[in-house]
Amino acid sequence: MMHKLDRRAFCFAMGLIGLGAGSIDAWAEDGAIRLGIVAPMSGPNSRYGSYSLRGAQLAAEEINSAGGIGGRKIAITSGDSQGTPVEGVSATRRLIDLDKVDFIIGDVSSSVTLAMQPVAEDAGVLLLNAASSNPKITYAAGVGGFKWTFRNYPTDENRALIVIQYAVEKRGFTKFAVLSVDSDYGRAAVDFTKKYLPGLKGAILTEDYYKEGEVDFRSVLAKIRDSGAQAIIMYGNADTTPIIGRQMIEVGLAGKVPLIGNAEFNTESTIKAAPKALEGAVEAAAWLPAWDAPRSLAFVEKFKAKYRETPNNHAYVHWETVHLLAKAIEAAGSADRAKVRDELSKIKYDSAMGEVTFDDHNQARLPMILLQIENGKPAIKGAYSAEIKYPAK
Amino acid sequence: MLSAILEQIVNGIVSGSVYAIVAVGMTMIFGVLRAINFAHGEYYMLGTFGAWFAIEYFDLPYPVAIAIGVIATAVIAVVVGKFVMQRIVGAPPETGVLATLGIALVLQNTVILVFGGGYKFFSGGYIEPVSIFGFTLAEQRVLIIIVCILVFVGLELMVTYSRMGKAMRAVSQNIECCAVVGIDVPQVALRTFILGACLAALSGVLTAPVNVSVYGGMGEIITFKTLPVIIMGGLGNVRGTFFAAMILGIAESLVATYVGLQFRDTVGFATLLLVLMWRPHGLFSAQARF
Repeated sequence: MMHKLDRRAFCFAMGLIGLGAGSIDAWAEDGAIRLGIVAPMSGPNSRYGSYSLRGAQLAAEEINSAGGIGGRKIAITSGDSQGTPVEGVSATRRLIDLDKVDFIIGDVSSSVTLAMQPVAEDAGVLLLNAASSNPKITYAAGVGGFKWTFRNYPTDENRALIVIQYAVEKRGFTKFAVLSVDSDYGRAAVDFTKKYLPGLKGAILTEDYYKEGEVDFRSVLAKIRDSGAQAIIMYGNADTTPIIGRQMIEVGLAGKVPLIGNAEFNTESTIKAAPKALEGAVEAAAWLPAWDAPRSLAFVEKFKAKYRETPNNHAYVHWETVHLLAKAIEAAGSADRAKVRDELSKIKYDSAMGEVTFDDHNQARLPMILLQIENGKPAIKGAYSAEIKYPAK
Repeated sequence: MLSAILEQIVNGIVSGSVYAIVAVGMTMIFGVLRAINFAHGEYYMLGTFGAWFAIEYFDLPYPVAIAIGVIATAVIAVVVGKFVMQRIVGAPPETGVLATLGIALVLQNTVILVFGGGYKFFSGGYIEPVSIFGFTLAEQRVLIIIVCILVFVGLELMVTYSRMGKAMRAVSQNIECCAVVGIDVPQVALRTFILGACLAALSGVLTAPVNVSVYGGMGEIITFKTLPVIIMGGLGNVRGTFFAAMILGIAESLVATYVGLQFRDTVGFATLLLVLMWRPHGLFSAQARF
């Protein structure tokens, strides 16, 4: 009997302590706006997570040192998704239940973001994604379902459309060959290209997908050469591009049929491996440190000064998205989630890449930077944007 | 149309030559040790890394790098041969499977630990295209075909006339009898293994210029492409391996062109299934070894 009572008393006491700790935690930084950042802070993608968090922290610092938002400071709490959906969901729950965040920015990986969407929706917490590219995320947001999900990042569909539009309109290509990686990413990008190709009066002559680790492309490249295609649509692995480039030189495609799409055509080592094959290659990027806009260059300088490294794409998008959120909160006049959400859907925000607005699927209309390899160097051909056509319901 | 098919056949012969040089080592090791060497692709990888290291760190010319890649692999093969492969002789078959799979893991991960997991760029070799029969081919590929022919002529002569070749044939037929007549079986096993590993390394160094990327896991795919070749050729059959490799190379090339690149890897295993169903001892031999 004594024993039982003891245990009950113990549980009760622990519960009290827990409650106390919880409330202390929740009120620790009284008045601050709580923002959770879900990103892969450990595991194979932890480099991306570290860039993301640093970008967000830099933005919060800038906002706080300028007096905060209406006098309230931003307090950032980091959640580790480890790049996996399971951990991403628990990190999101922890941020919502224990840290009582009002807003969440996350994750980098699309599969994690897809898993976080219902969690944020149930809790009525605004989930603002800044770095996932899978189109499904915003197909299912806004009028598509999830009211609390927004994305301030171009999707694979944007990319595919921007690249093919540029190839047809600026380069005058109409006949294409497909050579992409046999994965969700490679196949989906080609499917999106096909969705817009008829409207652009272009046609695909041959279509091939390579397995990861494939090294022999001579057969397929010879077929592409004989098909009369004017450009090769390639959404592939960065590590495979040099191999394909070399073999393009061999079969006589180099310099005649350029690569378009996304597979790190603009990195120095790739160009060095097959300069002739990569000449004229076209690639779209969400952001680059070299992007020549004052706001962007200032960000690169600040980031370098603080962290002693050049920011990557993930650092930039998180930095910009925190500022975007701050602007929405300011416009709403309070940190009330519903008001901020409504402000976000009608915001006109001047980002380093151009004006950001959201469509009815809560997807940001964002330009992408087009790069073309000229004389062995990536040349920026400007920023292009594209309006996504959602399937009719 | 005809020239297009001809070009694809030549492409097939090039990839067939690569498979052949790797597979012949694997099939000889099987003949003597009665064990499938699942680490065979790793020697291909080691040879490539050796050459890459020589070029990247010491700025040596490509021909010297070939020698360094092969010699480095030979040294590692001596160690592995002494401590592991010699003990497989006469052991139950699962010993060979476990031991070679284990070695594959150790070699692969050691290389990743030392050099990192990222892709390296192989800058040596002769990659300028030359024109033959109206289509172009990298010089390196011509070199691969020539080396393949030389290797097979050499091996054929060796197993027929040399003392070591005769000993290898003898061991592959009956280990006990060899021991009785005084053939040093462990020594023959070790030499065969080193020879096989060196051939794999040679193949790796020769293909590196056209495959460009060098990385720790590159051997795996080679092991699995080689398996169907040696089974089709008849385990332990040198000549059969050559023809099986050419058939696979050409079939893959034609499938990649006329069916689709994504179906290319199915060719090897589809053929393997057919061979196992109708000619389980291989396409080219009833009993012959070497």
